[in-house]
Amino acid sequence: MGEYIIRRIIQALITLFLVTVFTFALIHLAPGGPTQVMIAPGVSPEAFEVQKRNLGLDDPIHIQYFRWVGNLLQGDFGTTFKNNIPISDILWPTVGNTFVLMTIAWLVTLIIALPWGIYNSTKVYGLSDQTASFISYLGFAMPTFWFGIILQQIFAMKLRWLPLSDMWTYGKQGDLGDLAMHLVLPVTVLSLGFLASYVKYARASMLEVLDQDYIRTARAKGVKERKVVFRHALRNALIPIVTILGLDLPMLVSGAVLTEKVFNWPGMGRLFVDMATAREYSALMAIVIITSVFVVLGNMLADILYAVVDPRVQLGRKGGGSK
Amino acid sequence: MSENLDQQEKVAADNQPDLRKPPGPWKIAARKFLRNPYAMISVFVLLFFVIVSFFAPYLTPYDPAKIDLKNSNLPAFSDGHLLGTDELGRDILTRLLYSGRISLTIGFSVALASVIIGTIVGAISGYFGGWIDTVLMRFVDVMYSLPSLFLNILVLAIFGDEFIYMILILSFTSWMGVARLVRGNFLQLREMQYVEAARAIGVPNRSIIFNHLLRNSIHPIIVNATLMVGAAILSESALSYLGLGIQAPQTSWGLMLSNAQEFMLLDPWLAVYPGVCILIVVLAVNFIGDGLQQALNPREKKKHPVRRLNEWRKKFSKSAV
Repeated sequence: MGEYIIRRIIQALITLFLVTVFTFALIHLAPGGPTQVMIAPGVSPEAFEVQKRNLGLDDPIHIQYFRWVGNLLQGDFGTTFKNNIPISDILWPTVGNTFVLMTIAWLVTLIIALPWGIYNSTKVYGLSDQTASFISYLGFAMPTFWFGIILQQIFAMKLRWLPLSDMWTYGKQGDLGDLAMHLVLPVTVLSLGFLASYVKYARASMLEVLDQDYIRTARAKGVKERKVVFRHALRNALIPIVTILGLDLPMLVSGAVLTEKVFNWPGMGRLFVDMATAREYSALMAIVIITSVFVVLGNMLADILYAVVDPRVQLGRKGGGSK
Repeated sequence: MSENLDQQEKVAADNQPDLRKPPGPWKIAARKFLRNPYAMISVFVLLFFVIVSFFAPYLTPYDPAKIDLKNSNLPAFSDGHLLGTDELGRDILTRLLYSGRISLTIGFSVALASVIIGTIVGAISGYFGGWIDTVLMRFVDVMYSLPSLFLNILVLAIFGDEFIYMILILSFTSWMGVARLVRGNFLQLREMQYVEAARAIGVPNRSIIFNHLLRNSIHPIIVNATLMVGAAILSESALSYLGLGIQAPQTSWGLMLSNAQEFMLLDPWLAVYPGVCILIVVLAVNFIGDGLQQALNPREKKKHPVRRLNEWRKKFSKSAV
């Protein structure tokens, strides 16, 4: 077990190293190179040279890379071209806002999806099961941001029940009731996106367990169906579900670019889009690295968790990272 | 009585030598596909969209980018403009058609490109194994760890939002699924005896890969490619909506949605049309993918309607739940 965890951590570190190399290389491959990318356009040639030296772009490339990673590790992401604001100052608050939105959306999804999926597994191809698969077809084919725009038109513009966008009404920062009203629409949009796949996972996972011999034994002994489902089946069916939850954890930070843009939610996704439109490359690189860290950590935790909760997983062979 | 007779006739027919060639696997698949109502309707819907959008210049007299402020914000069914005009007086139907061109082109080319990349990587990885496999799969892991939407945005921000960059970056971030699939298939197939036999008689690696292994993993690749068209259309619309994809004067469904959100107050219907187009096209593509999956997979069981299943369950199953 210990050896497996250590190997998995080393793997994660290698992946993260490659991610940083990749992102760094991308900036250096840009047309005109990093000088073009890192220095605001329109400065005089003298100022250009000075800035180039200050940014250390004259140094050999590996030194530039290690300096950049060293700064990242210390939480220093550089400053924006415009206004010279430290990026960490604008970045961390948005991470918090995204976290609020995504956690609530995720919890809402789980509360609806798990019982629904479990119910569907006991009534396969019933009306509720068919509805779920209909929703999943829609969910996979519909642009989520379009769904958001339509909801905005109906509930904010026509009926005027809910606020159109943003996180707080101006002057009401900190009022939780106000926040809740602002959360309804984006949470609905996000939940619909996740709902389909979670119901499917829960159902598939339950069906697999319900097909096992020990379930038949339990039924043959005359155990009540309710007890079979909740006591015997559900416990084992939860194992793969827990893994998928782990894999989806990074979404709590990164998942909502489009929804945040539609509802003008001051989160990291919207910040990323705004920074992309403003061509703020240092900020973009920082956000890509942060989200990758969360993704890699999430994957690692999911793998380790899976090994911990399911003794059948063969630790020796499961490695390799590729599923 | 007559049933018995029928059966006898059938047995007699079976005993007679059938001189026709038995249907090949592709023919069986085609027959299954043609009998799938969802898939067939979807094929016609998709064909309709493809034809209408690629013949757009012949179908509509308007220029999708021509600004005509005198006729801005006309309602639907007004004179000469079936769906009305937008805030700059551009004919909405025309713009929908021209947008379809771009969205569909991107969808199909991204699917094709990423299937090619994924197949090559997966084939090399699965066939040669060893350290090549380790290196390539590690690379796939890294690509999976990069949040793809973020990466798309980053690249488009750095390299500029040209049409071709969009296709390149979208394919570059979506080939990993195919690579894993092909690798898995190859790992299984290369242990087969016919591959060993081919190697024993000195067939070169290249022909083993193409003639033996690839041909036997072509079915899941086709299904995956189809589903990828839908995903690519969705990604394109998302990027264009964010303002990083297709730029005016060109137009795409995503870009139209972005405009529509700005002018929501003036005309709420602006947002409905492009979204419905995306929804219909992606649904159609996904249904075709499902149909192909069912048709090409010999292990896929026939799906029976719920009503019939329930009837059977009532009649024949004692442990009906």
